[in-house]
Amino acid sequence: MEEMKQWTNELQQWIHQALHWIHQIPSVQIYVSIGVLFLTTVFLLLACLFRRTKYNTIVLAGLSGSGKTVLFHRFQDGSLPQGTNTSLDPNEGNFVLYSESTEKGKIKHVHLVDVPGHSHLRLYEYLPQTAGLIFVVDALEFLPNCHAAAEYLYDILTKTSVVKRNIPVLILCNKTDKVTAHTKEFIRKQLEKAIDRLRASRNAISAADISNEFTLGIVGEAFAFSQCHNKVTIAEASGLTGDIVQAEQFIREHIRP
Amino acid sequence: MLEQLLIFTRGGLILWTCKELGNALKGSPIDTLIRSCLLEERSGDASYNYDAPGVAYTLKWTFHNDLGLIFVAVYQRILNLLYVDDLLSMVKREFSQIYDPKRTAYNDFDDIFRQLRKEAEARTEEMKKSKQAAKPVSNLSRKQGQAAAQKAGSEGGVKQKNGASGKDGGDGDYKKGRKSENGYSNGIGIEESHAAGVVKNKENGSSENGAFDVNKLQKLRSKVGKKSDTVSKVPKAEPKKKGPKKNRVWDESPQESKLDFTDPADERGDENIAVIADQGESMMDKEEIVSSESEAEDDEEIEKDNKGNAKKKGWFSSMFQSIAGKANLEKSDLEPALKALKDRLMTKNVAEEIAEKLCESVAASLEGKKQASFTRISSTVQTAMEEALVRILTPRRSIDILRDVHVAKEQGKPYVVVFVGVNGVGKSTNLAKVAYWLLQHKISVMMAACDTFRSGAVEQLRTHARRLQIPIFEKGYEKDPAIVAKEAIQEAARNGSDVVLVDTAGRMQDNEPLMRALSKLINLNNPDLVLFVGEALVGNDAVDQLSKFNQKLADLSTSPTTRLIDGILLTKFDTIDDKVGAALSMVYISGAPVMFVGCGQSYTDLKKLNVKSIVKTLLK
Repeated sequence: MEEMKQWTNELQQWIHQALHWIHQIPSVQIYVSIGVLFLTTVFLLLACLFRRTKYNTIVLAGLSGSGKTVLFHRFQDGSLPQGTNTSLDPNEGNFVLYSESTEKGKIKHVHLVDVPGHSHLRLYEYLPQTAGLIFVVDALEFLPNCHAAAEYLYDILTKTSVVKRNIPVLILCNKTDKVTAHTKEFIRKQLEKAIDRLRASRNAISAADISNEFTLGIVGEAFAFSQCHNKVTIAEASGLTGDIVQAEQFIREHIRP
Repeated sequence: MLEQLLIFTRGGLILWTCKELGNALKGSPIDTLIRSCLLEERSGDASYNYDAPGVAYTLKWTFHNDLGLIFVAVYQRILNLLYVDDLLSMVKREFSQIYDPKRTAYNDFDDIFRQLRKEAEARTEEMKKSKQAAKPVSNLSRKQGQAAAQKAGSEGGVKQKNGASGKDGGDGDYKKGRKSENGYSNGIGIEESHAAGVVKNKENGSSENGAFDVNKLQKLRSKVGKKSDTVSKVPKAEPKKKGPKKNRVWDESPQESKLDFTDPADERGDENIAVIADQGESMMDKEEIVSSESEAEDDEEIEKDNKGNAKKKGWFSSMFQSIAGKANLEKSDLEPALKALKDRLMTKNVAEEIAEKLCESVAASLEGKKQASFTRISSTVQTAMEEALVRILTPRRSIDILRDVHVAKEQGKPYVVVFVGVNGVGKSTNLAKVAYWLLQHKISVMMAACDTFRSGAVEQLRTHARRLQIPIFEKGYEKDPAIVAKEAIQEAARNGSDVVLVDTAGRMQDNEPLMRALSKLINLNNPDLVLFVGEALVGNDAVDQLSKFNQKLADLSTSPTTRLIDGILLTKFDTIDDKVGAALSMVYISGAPVMFVGCGQSYTDLKKLNVKSIVKTLLK
């Protein structure tokens, strides 16, 4: 009890001294310092609130050779590259879509990422910021690559972040300017069949430990893209001729200004 | 004459190609280069050889890591151009001055390139002339050793064309690329020709090689003759025609009537079958929980190590550099960090040459890059190495065997897996584990006992088959494994088994007749999966084993599509604590993914390779 009293006494003394000291400081300084503190906190709060939504990324994914890099450049500046090789690193860009650059008014920038076909893992790094995913399929050489494409697509569709956040997926059939390219209906049916088979083999595990964290579709029924939680649509395009209207519509739909 | 010179970005966009050299490249050498060399972390190699029907190119490349550009030169392999490396570095220098990330067309570079090429060619002409002056003197003495005048003629021709050809390619190369001059060149051999002094020696060496052309041909003919004799003498795979062997009599003790001590339990059949089917879930299906807590500890440890190693002064300057962000990374800066990393890898049982090549590749990808501020060189190197390791260890294609089995089932034929490897690595044991795992997934399995050499091999498999209650196809000992396998597959097709697991005898990679027998087995039966079984305890020998196996399979294959090793089964993983380097060596040298990991001696001890944990262990 004695000690407690002593401590309370000391505390009171300190408080007295502090108040005395504060009173001694000219009031202007105090007001200024308080003002500065207040302003910084307000500023930080505002910055937090008005920060642009993180979801402004569109990811271009697909197998090697499906035409992602050509499409990327088409979106970026409407140009056709004189040639492309297998990409080693992702192509990233934050820009206004070329076709929209002539429109007036406030156009939101799109952060477009072209992920190389051989590194499935890189794709998942961008998922937290993704607003939409374009899965590019080679409509010309579709059948030899059907299995690999289906597996890649299956991995994407069963990733928890894709399902939980309902990331919309657009299956883009590229190279449709060629005569022997398959139609999107054919491709859709083939992919659905292949994914159905993948679902059946329980351990459909792809490269390096990425486990299917979610079961696709309705068990017992043949798989269809309409059964997915997130929206899956299919469209056609041609990087070579520049016919990318459907893809651009998809992008505009999902990057809201 | 160069075939083509390309400049492209790491994102794949081609910025410039030489328009004068208008020849279109046959095949797709650049794509193949990227896929099998640059992405496989072999960018430290000096050059890459591309072979396609009708063409043989050599590719050389250089990186500009800061701007993210790649410069590739393609030329025909028979022409040995010395100026390519010079040309590439000059082109790199000039182009980086006019490079602008926004531009995609660089037509003005054509003129600059023409100039540079002339310069480079002129320089090499000078070098050649100075060499040729010294040549005739040294070769007069050599000529006295040679026999026919014919050779002198070919020698002269050889010297004119090949500045410095590579060493002998050996029998294989000789058969493949026989041209009148020395058609063989190792990529490595070309590189050694740069210093003028070395060139001179190599020239003398090559002239000797040229002279031996005719001799070699004769020797080869006799060798081939001898080889066919030895093969026919190998008794291992041939059925004995002499009849049953008589028992050896050591002394006068009465002969034992029966020397067969096999367990009479086989005949009793059902009674003795221990029901094993449920030893629990195979570890293949269990997910591994990788703890991420230990990461923070690891980083601290690494930092402590690094601080301890660097000298006081070195530490201070590196701290200063890390804050200021030094302009460009030079090779000399990277060397100490890379050396430390290489030593660490080698203590983890990675083969020495693999560690060396990996470090070179990482150096090639970091040289000239701008170092981000607040990063130390060692951490940049560490992250680059980690990325490289993940890239190498991640399987390039799907390793989902179940899916492939289903596909084969739909086509109505059995899925055939052949287990190959050296002696004593655990083929038979792991075959049983794989069978157990497949059974758990409701797939019908059949075993084929094609190890007709080792005593007890057939009985071992018979025991496993009895315990797992699956059919086994066996023909006893001293039979030709290729024929046994063929009949086993036919039997499987007849009784509707989904998978056939073929066990083969262990063999050393240097044993020519055994490798030939293995090649025959694979060619005859065309299995769906050739699984190389290797133990995790192996050290530098892993490189030798895998490369020789692959080489023999390629050389001795008779069909147009050569079957190489498709996958690796890593065994005895539980015996190594953290010395997991064998996995890396094997994957790097063969390019085949690790499909299974055997981690114990019971049926459930089979799991998948966890790439992240292996990379973490390797770099700890």
